[in-house]
Amino acid sequence: MSELLNTLMQDARVWQGHRHTQTTQPAEPTGYQVLDNQLGGLGWPRGALSECLLDAPGIGELHLLLPLMQRVCGEGKSVFWLNPPHTPYAPALAREGVNLDQVVLIHTEDEGDFLWTLENCLRSPVTGLVMAWPGKLASREVRRLQLAAEAGSNVCVLFRERRYAEQNSPAALRLELEPGEQQDLKVNVLKRRGSWPGQRCSLAMAQRADLSFRETTRVVRGPWSGSTG
Amino acid sequence: MLWLYLHFPHLVLDHIRRTREDQGALVVVEGSGQKVIQACPEARSQGIRSGMRLKTAISLAPDLGMVRADETQEARILEDQARWLYRYAAHIVLVPPDGLLAEIGSLQKLYGGLPAVWQTVEQGLNERQLNAWIGIGYTPLAARLIARAGKGECTADKGHIQRNLSQMPLLAAEFNEKACTRLQRLGLNTLGEVFELPPGELARRLSPELLAYIQKIQGTRPDPRTPWQPPHSFRQQADFVQEIEHTQGLLFPLQRMLAELEEDLCWRQQDTDSLRLVLRHRHSEPTRLQIRTSGPEHRADHFLNLIRLRLEQHSLSAPVISMVLLVKRFLSREAPSGQDLLGETQDLNEAWHTLISRLQARLGDQALRQLSPQADHRPERAWSASEVLRKTGTPLVPAAELPRRPLWLLKGPQPLTEAPVTWFSGPERISGGWWDGQRVHRDYYIAQLNSGQLAWVFRDAREGWFVHGWFG
Repeated sequence: MSELLNTLMQDARVWQGHRHTQTTQPAEPTGYQVLDNQLGGLGWPRGALSECLLDAPGIGELHLLLPLMQRVCGEGKSVFWLNPPHTPYAPALAREGVNLDQVVLIHTEDEGDFLWTLENCLRSPVTGLVMAWPGKLASREVRRLQLAAEAGSNVCVLFRERRYAEQNSPAALRLELEPGEQQDLKVNVLKRRGSWPGQRCSLAMAQRADLSFRETTRVVRGPWSGSTG
Repeated sequence: MLWLYLHFPHLVLDHIRRTREDQGALVVVEGSGQKVIQACPEARSQGIRSGMRLKTAISLAPDLGMVRADETQEARILEDQARWLYRYAAHIVLVPPDGLLAEIGSLQKLYGGLPAVWQTVEQGLNERQLNAWIGIGYTPLAARLIARAGKGECTADKGHIQRNLSQMPLLAAEFNEKACTRLQRLGLNTLGEVFELPPGELARRLSPELLAYIQKIQGTRPDPRTPWQPPHSFRQQADFVQEIEHTQGLLFPLQRMLAELEEDLCWRQQDTDSLRLVLRHRHSEPTRLQIRTSGPEHRADHFLNLIRLRLEQHSLSAPVISMVLLVKRFLSREAPSGQDLLGETQDLNEAWHTLISRLQARLGDQALRQLSPQADHRPERAWSASEVLRKTGTPLVPAAELPRRPLWLLKGPQPLTEAPVTWFSGPERISGGWWDGQRVHRDYYIAQLNSGQLAWVFRDAREGWFVHGWFG
């Protein structure tokens, strides 16, 4: 082996695929034990980008981030929502214990503004969490954001369409989200740092609409049939 | 009373020169544009003198910068000087077009002697790159004559000042031409000789006005002056000899103006959160920019950063001939403290304001919103968006008694296009709004769609089905 490779091996700086070394990158627990276990006991990486890839809203994607949101607001740091597709509903957030004083909603006009805003938010020490819904992002721009995220040690989650799952991305964590049968959320780890991806788990999300008791008979009749004939 | 007089021999030149990066020759020409009134040292070294015809001056220095004399501009610049002098002296009198009087007798104790007062004023002049001749006298007119003659000395000795005055030639004493010739015909050449004449004779031979003037110099007749009152707002103007075509060129003069603002705010012990910048063009309407910070601020570099951001977004519609910085809103300044009651450090607070101000400067105030719930049953009115404000000290009470609502609310109800797979809970009837004409009468259900999305759907009074939210 070459001299260089030898020194690298001695410093244990070469990652070998057959060993699952415990990484010590800074991270925030997701609040879901099942998912944390799949992510090597870590959670959302700090100072790096995370991506959630999903087809449509309303499958529990916000509830996935809710424990972190609550924690960040409790610490007096801000949560930025950048270009969300719909309005984050204030009464629901308040009910979940998110301090709305710490929630800032930002709308940007064009792509340049979007990247600039995201970078600024990520670099600021007041930021705890940035959630962003980019339209289209070139790989180069994701790389730029990844660098900005590294500068700030904040959690940044990008919500993107599921068709980008095929594309490679410099993001440190990539999760594919799908709705499950029991109103749960199926998480497929596409990429994570320090180990092989491919873990799958399912998170119970029925509580987001108070459906934990599985009492489908509570609605006496689906009124749908009555109205459409 | 002891008076200090500041005579600015070329105030307009000084004012313009300090907003310029290059220090080329510069002259002020009279209104008709024929004659040179003031010439800066560079121009003088090239042989240009005041009183020279403009054509001659241009042939001496082809790249001469020219400014036309304008009375209102001069008055404004003089007032600018009064504003900074007001920090050192309370009783200030404007003597247009080029003089300032300050009562300094009462300041000696504060500053610890006359030399200290003198030094303070000189330092203030140096910082602002102003040329001024200083004179001290026991009457306003005496101080003025001494200053204009360039004989000012840092002394409060009555005899010395008197001697200085007495030796002054009549021409320097600012008598009108007629009186001056008459006095010279009488064989009088210095002011001292005029002082020695008996007052009765003077009034009889010359005019009562002349006697009054002489007595005012001597201090035997009162010479009341109304003190100048500083305005409550801050205003700074920069005038450019060459029109500025790029926003980059505005930053240099802005730096100095903002430094003045910072100093002014320091003296007021106040902060501000909104600046107004007016860019004047030669032919079109002035451009007005409002720069807002998210919280009280006084530091020049912070303002400069925001203005730089703003100017990057805003390209100049026409070349700028002058720029005005205005501040009318002042906020009381909070003393910096290490940590407040909630354990929130000042640094974090400051970082928050910096971030929000930056974002607002580039994206506009409307782009940033904060949410809050509202007391209304109608879902679209149960929340509101407001401007971003730093609020602390509202401990959060988990509002578990609020009804279950989705985390996403659609911007408007969307028609439901497919039959839901599963129905969960409902109906929840929401009816209201008859009081303001926005009547709502709906039955809400939670249902799962084919795609797996959990939706908040409703049926309204006209039997239509809509999606109003997603349980994200």
